[in-house]
Amino acid sequence: MTIEHHPSDETLARVAAGRLDAAPAIVVAVHLAACPDCRAKLRGFEAIGGALLEDLAPAEMSADALASVLGRLDEAGPAEAPPRPTPRVPRFVDGIELPAALDACEVGPLRRYAPGFRMSRIRMPGDPKANLMLMRIGAGRKMPEHGHTGIEYTLVLRGSFSDGIGHYHAGDLAEADATTDHQPVVDVDGECICLAAIEGRMKLSGILGRLLQPLLGF
Amino acid sequence: MTLSPEAQARLVASIAAAADRQAFAILFRHFAPRVKTFLIRSGLPTNTAEELAQETLLNVWRKAAYFDRSRAGVSTWIFTIARNLRIDHLRQGRVRDRSIEDPTDERDEPLSGEAIVMAAEREAKVRIALTKLSDEQAAVVRLSFFSEKPHSEIAEELGIPIGTVKSRVRLAMQHLRTLLDEST
Repeated sequence: MTIEHHPSDETLARVAAGRLDAAPAIVVAVHLAACPDCRAKLRGFEAIGGALLEDLAPAEMSADALASVLGRLDEAGPAEAPPRPTPRVPRFVDGIELPAALDACEVGPLRRYAPGFRMSRIRMPGDPKANLMLMRIGAGRKMPEHGHTGIEYTLVLRGSFSDGIGHYHAGDLAEADATTDHQPVVDVDGECICLAAIEGRMKLSGILGRLLQPLLGF
Repeated sequence: MTLSPEAQARLVASIAAAADRQAFAILFRHFAPRVKTFLIRSGLPTNTAEELAQETLLNVWRKAAYFDRSRAGVSTWIFTIARNLRIDHLRQGRVRDRSIEDPTDERDEPLSGEAIVMAAEREAKVRIALTKLSDEQAAVVRLSFFSEKPHSEIAEELGIPIGTVKSRVRLAMQHLRTLLDEST
């Protein structure tokens, strides 16, 4: 199936500039791995970074900078030849194959928070407060009603959902900003597995949301 | 000293092929001070910026063989190395996610003469596209790349509402995208 929903230009520019938080960056990485068009776009934005770098006024380096780095070249070793890529061993959690972008993360088993809604809060090294979640939602189920202070990035790994704005299949990325008070609904033909990250804080609303808030620790 | 993109690529190739220290010194003098400026503008203290600028160039030495001309020009490649080191530094865990493509990533397509020409053209087009932005757009693009500040502070700095900053960033990015699309 072709990917229809992509990260915005702003998001790709933030990835290129290194200014997207760790959790959303992982969600976007999963999309990029599946989307050659966005990889090409990203390169365009990186080229902007390269051109801007070239135009920057040079800062003064410390007097011995070059000598010191030249002295370290030997310890740095000779220029390496690219190694042969080692095959990656796929990881599974509750039967869900995890994307390679999650390799450095700790993903515990999914816990049931509500009927038809299971979730695992993913731990990211170096960013313990990151809001990154792996979710499994039953066919036809609504995701907990919520808003958020920043942008929410949701990537479909399996299945599909709709949120009133679009219809999302595997590989699609939904970006919802703070003004979107949306309620994604999983399509009736099967469960949906998503990877989601939010910037800022999540604000759960509705009865289910209020019940979940303390449980989820947002 | 100006260093053409072709000359830069030859210097990197010479490091990869012959551990050419002289070529390295030329690249160092050109790029290390610019990388340092980038890192300072990105909010790092001067001494950290110095350290990471040196580290960036050490990576150029180590990874010269990974440099892929069909993918990016040298300045873009070095920009991504510096960007990644900055992210690693900020995330004390030192583990970077893979969204940020590494020069070590597998290649999408075999290295071909055509791809190299296309990459070089893209870089040249980007340079031209940047000169075609209005001053306001160029300012927000620079700040988006180089400033640690959130949009709210950029707004304050430029004396314009935050909504205007956001729409200018969006417009500038769209404008650049259009110019880039025309080049492919």
